[in-house]
Amino acid sequence: MNKLYVVGALFVAAMLGFTYVAMDIKGGMNGDIVNMLAIAGAVVLVIVSVFVVTKYVRQMQSDTAGGELAEENWDSIGEYKNPLPMGWAIIFLGLIVWAGWYFIVGYPVNAYSQIGEYNEDSAKANAKFEEKYTSLTAEELHNMGESVFLVNCAPCHGLDADGMNGKAANLHKRIAEDSVKHVVNNGANNLKTTFPGGMPPMLLQDKAQIDAVAKYVANGFKADDAAGKAAFTAGTCNSCHGENGEGMPSVAPKINGWDAEMVSTVLKDGKKGAIGAMPAFTNLNATQVKAVSTYITDISKGE
Amino acid sequence: MENRPLEYDYTVAKMFMLTTVLLGAVGMLIGVILATELAFPGVNTILGGLGLNEFTNFSRLRPLHTDAVVFGFTLSGIWATWYYVGQRVLKVSMAESKVLMFLGKLHFFLYLLVVVAVVGSLFLGITTSKEYAEFEWPIDIAVVLVWVLWGLGIFGLIGIRRERSLYISVWYYIASFLGIAMLYLFNNMEIPTMLAASPAGETGIGAWYHSISMYSGTNDALVQWWYGHNAVAFGFTVPIVAMIYYFLPKESGQAVYSYKLSLLSFWGLMFVYLWAGGHHLLFSTVPDWMQTMGSVFSVVLILPSWGSAINMLLTMKGEWQQVATSPLIKFMVLGSTFYMFSTLEGPIQAIKSVNAIAHFTDWIVGHVHDGVLGWVGFMIMAALFHMAPRVFKKEIYSKSLMGTQFWIQTLGIVLYFTSMWIAGITQGMMWRAHDEYGNLAYSFIDTVTALHPYYTIRAVGGALYLIGFFMFAYNIYKTMTSGRRVEESELQNASPMAA
Amino acid sequence: MFHWLEKHPFFFAVGVFLVIAFAGLVEILPNFAQAAQPTVGTKPYTVLEMAGREVYIKNSCNACHSQLIRPFKAETDRYGHYSLSGEYAYDRPFLWGSKRTGPDLHRVGNYRTTDWHENHMKDPAAVVPGSIMPAYGWMFTNIADINTAYASQLTNAQFFSVPYNKPVPTKDGGTVTVAMANSVAEANKMALDEAKVITAGMKDKDVQDMVAAGKIPEIVALIAYLNSLK
Ligand code: HEC
Ligand code: HEC
Ligand code: HEC
Ligand code: HEM
Ligand code: HEM
Ligand SMILES: [Ca+2]
Ligand SMILES: [Ca+2]
Ligand SMILES: [Cu+2]
Repeated sequence: MNKLYVVGALFVAAMLGFTYVAMDIKGGMNGDIVNMLAIAGAVVLVIVSVFVVTKYVRQMQSDTAGGELAEENWDSIGEYKNPLPMGWAIIFLGLIVWAGWYFIVGYPVNAYSQIGEYNEDSAKANAKFEEKYTSLTAEELHNMGESVFLVNCAPCHGLDADGMNGKAANLHKRIAEDSVKHVVNNGANNLKTTFPGGMPPMLLQDKAQIDAVAKYVANGFKADDAAGKAAFTAGTCNSCHGENGEGMPSVAPKINGWDAEMVSTVLKDGKKGAIGAMPAFTNLNATQVKAVSTYITDISKGE
Repeated sequence: MENRPLEYDYTVAKMFMLTTVLLGAVGMLIGVILATELAFPGVNTILGGLGLNEFTNFSRLRPLHTDAVVFGFTLSGIWATWYYVGQRVLKVSMAESKVLMFLGKLHFFLYLLVVVAVVGSLFLGITTSKEYAEFEWPIDIAVVLVWVLWGLGIFGLIGIRRERSLYISVWYYIASFLGIAMLYLFNNMEIPTMLAASPAGETGIGAWYHSISMYSGTNDALVQWWYGHNAVAFGFTVPIVAMIYYFLPKESGQAVYSYKLSLLSFWGLMFVYLWAGGHHLLFSTVPDWMQTMGSVFSVVLILPSWGSAINMLLTMKGEWQQVATSPLIKFMVLGSTFYMFSTLEGPIQAIKSVNAIAHFTDWIVGHVHDGVLGWVGFMIMAALFHMAPRVFKKEIYSKSLMGTQFWIQTLGIVLYFTSMWIAGITQGMMWRAHDEYGNLAYSFIDTVTALHPYYTIRAVGGALYLIGFFMFAYNIYKTMTSGRRVEESELQNASPMAA
Repeated sequence: MFHWLEKHPFFFAVGVFLVIAFAGLVEILPNFAQAAQPTVGTKPYTVLEMAGREVYIKNSCNACHSQLIRPFKAETDRYGHYSLSGEYAYDRPFLWGSKRTGPDLHRVGNYRTTDWHENHMKDPAAVVPGSIMPAYGWMFTNIADINTAYASQLTNAQFFSVPYNKPVPTKDGGTVTVAMANSVAEANKMALDEAKVITAGMKDKDVQDMVAAGKIPEIVALIAYLNSLK
């Protein structure tokens, strides 16, 4: 019977060990009261079960049955008139009293609202990070941007932002040739809040010129690409995007590389183009947007 | 008449024993397939070449698993035992009433028909989506008929009983009957869509069997989980308690420890259980006070649940000898232990802060299977093991096979619940985790891939349990076909078994 | 008293019934009056969205996906605003689910798009490496059941007064009217018009050909439904 307690204790220890390992890998308690209560509950569950059952097993091993039998007998099953186990009866009664108290006194008095609790928690979380956000270094912004990216953007752009075989834009580059052709042919007016005028379609109609400008823009405005440069001017692209695609405020975006404004604009308005559609991400806060913009600008420079 | 032992008629019990074994095997096999699909998703499309993966992928099969084990295995087990226990504790034979005999057989064959309809429709994706209430209205009507037939059987038998007072098991069978009847009716209030007419005057539009729920949104959820929780109560708890109150004292030859404890546990369970359904809706859009009520009553519920389990463990007081030597008694003693475990686990998961982590995770699936594998499964198999020698008049084919089965399945359950326990808590904590910048620390897929090892362990545990179940089926089959014949006198208590 | 009940099965059964029926009355009825009021911005499902919802149910997506965002910071960060009761006013049945093997989908329309769903439903692991969601290839060839969806719309309108063809308020203060067809033929035509909008954002040539030929594959309806979840 001592053996049983040992087995029980070993079992509890093993469960605790596993739990610890699982927690340890995944970043621990994080100071989160909910995490702690859940773990506490899980531990109580195993400990109480093992020890209560052990108690009854010991009675099977060493006690003897007895008591006064009831008159009835069903298919030769008898029934003792033993009293209630005291511990059981007391806890049952206690819990009933507690439940009654909780409803009549405890609960209406401290009226609880899950939305109220949520608001408090969010306010606390926001306050905690507000200070931190005012003084982030470039490196911290990059790291924070990466974590925002992995949770929100990676499902489409892929873990390393390469667009997963053309399922979304490859963010290591500003733009692909096909996408340039697409806007030249169809125009675009996705980014309404930043560039309200949009870009008209069919500024170029000659296939060779379109190919040339697409190559020129997608390859980063190579100075030696005379045909491309000529087409760029012929399409009056420079009048809006600037001579080297550096963009013009409120008129047209920078197209020779990423800047923070372009990324935040895409996040604000979403984007629909040759590859497909990208939804707007209005749930991100200003710092998160800045961070992810930094991250994308960095990786497009090969960092 | 009174001096001669009654000849009980087990025809209907035998029929339901057959479906218990068959549907148990099918349901658990699908369970193992599901577990494998989560660990190795390629299995979903393994039959793709045959154009069958529409019917074999995880989401089509999942309702088939739950319904096969709940309405197939468990219900059949409940009825197999009712048609056995009922006669014996009421001291009246089915053979004494042609009407009851006919109703019993009709009950079985109509049930078979429903099973066929359910399997067919779920494979085709005909479902209303409500958990444990997936059936469309034509099947609902048949289910109600089946239920009424059982009710007539119960009260008919009670009507001609010789034993004036009802044994504890009968209380629980009556409660299951009434509980499910009430819950099922309310949760399945639905309008067949063919009843609507278009402004152009067309009627009978679309699929004739299709319906939509009478309740919408939050109300629908409320009714569904009032049902869902109590389907557990009156499917997995109450009738299984009915079984253990008969089979454990009977097999061990011990008197039930305390009538008072039986009484308080029964009425306590009846009163408290129904209030606890709110624990499936914590932090949902259901009003806070209802959620709190569900949470508080769940905690109170520990005691009436444990009352029955303690009563059974105390019945075995001083009988360690039997526990150690009889695998049949082992099943029942470990069964009540798992019952205690899951009725403590449930209330702990019903505490709001714990549910914030546990809800939606595998810890709930773990809790489910602690109960169904350790308690429901073990009790039903034990009941059938006890019944087999008595209905077939044969000795149980192999005691050692039974013992091996016990240990294999116990290992299976331990692997199942430890892996899901860890998986659930890990998953719940990962979903909540924020990094040093206040952003979510993990993308959803991180939380999926982290569970792969645990899903694999669960699949192994489930496979062990399934292997054990096949051993059970084989043992029963061999008992039927090649066990040694036994005399009535050998069947008083401990079941005769060959080594 | 209890001993007496045990000898009188009829009264025993009545007693059990009263004890178990009581809780339902207290806990469930009070909510019925208020919970069905729609929130501003919630609108009934169009016929194609309804057909998609039925595809979702047919394949038990709710076995793995919840549609209930709980009021925790971690959930609102991941999925958007916590769910409100009135948003489900037109949901028969409700689809909250009870297990999140995959992510919540209550607002998936906000952060996923038609072309993404198209790629993902065809082969989840190709879009999300490590995904354990099954591939749903057959949805690209199975034809959606528009007639039944239309019957569901009619049932909603006739039995539950769901406001089809009536203005419902939108979040920006305006109104919007969700049209419902007058006949089966018209319903099919409306569904096809909606389907064309969806397929314009899709790449699969066969799907586009089918829609051009007047047939709507299940995937198109499903995507219409997923896009409507906001
Ligand atoms: C009238 C001003 C105007 C002219 C002329 C113009 N663009 Fe644009 N361009 C825009 C605006 C505005 C946008 C942003 C479109 C949006 O809102 O989605 C844009 C977008 C683009 C983009 C896409 C950026 C992205 O991230 O997808 C490319 C590439 C581009 N322009 C290239 C050209 C080329 C090549 C030409 C000449 C053939 C040209 N533009 C002429 C205004 C102009
Ligand atoms: C549902 C899929 C999806 C998600 C999620 C997504 N994107 Fe995109 N994104 C796209 C697609 C598709 C495009 C290409 C649109 C086009 O055809 O030009 C795109 C384009 C972009 C572009 C513009 C690329 C260009 O060449 O003009 C930027 C910048 C971008 N995404 C950043 C992000 C960031 C940052 C996030 C996360 C906060 C994100 N995306 C999330 C699908 C997505
Ligand atoms: C076996 C479980 C499973 C089933 C069944 C399942 N899914 Fe998923 N689903 C997942 C997992 C895991 C993910 C996360 C990984 C991923 O994006 O593929 C997911 C992701 C998704 C997403 C992306 C959501 C997001 O926020 O990224 C959508 C949309 C989706 N599933 C729709 C469906 C639909 C529609 C069905 C039914 C036809 C379905 N799923 C069936 C497991 C499942
Ligand atoms: C005191 C008794 C019990 C209580 C208070 C209880 C409580 C709970 C809770 C809180 C949940 C999780 C709800 C969620 O967050 O999703 C749950 C789920 C479940 N429990 Fe229990 N439980 C009890 C006993 C049992 C027993 C004995 C069984 C089976 C034998 C069982 C079977 C289930 C099932 C099947 C589910 C899953 C429901 C679903 O589909 O979501 N429970 N229970
Ligand atoms: C061989 C043994 C079994 C295995 C391997 C198994 C496996 C599974 C799996 C993989 C799931 C789905 C979990 C998920 O969605 O993540 C499941 C669900 C379920 N199983 Fe089993 N199962 C087995 C036996 C049983 C038995 C015997 C019963 C009942 C008597 C049962 C009742 C259920 C129920 C009620 C659910 C739904 C749980 C929920 O929704 O929370 N299972 N099972
Ligand atoms: Ca139904
Ligand atoms: Ca469930
Ligand atoms: Cu419950």
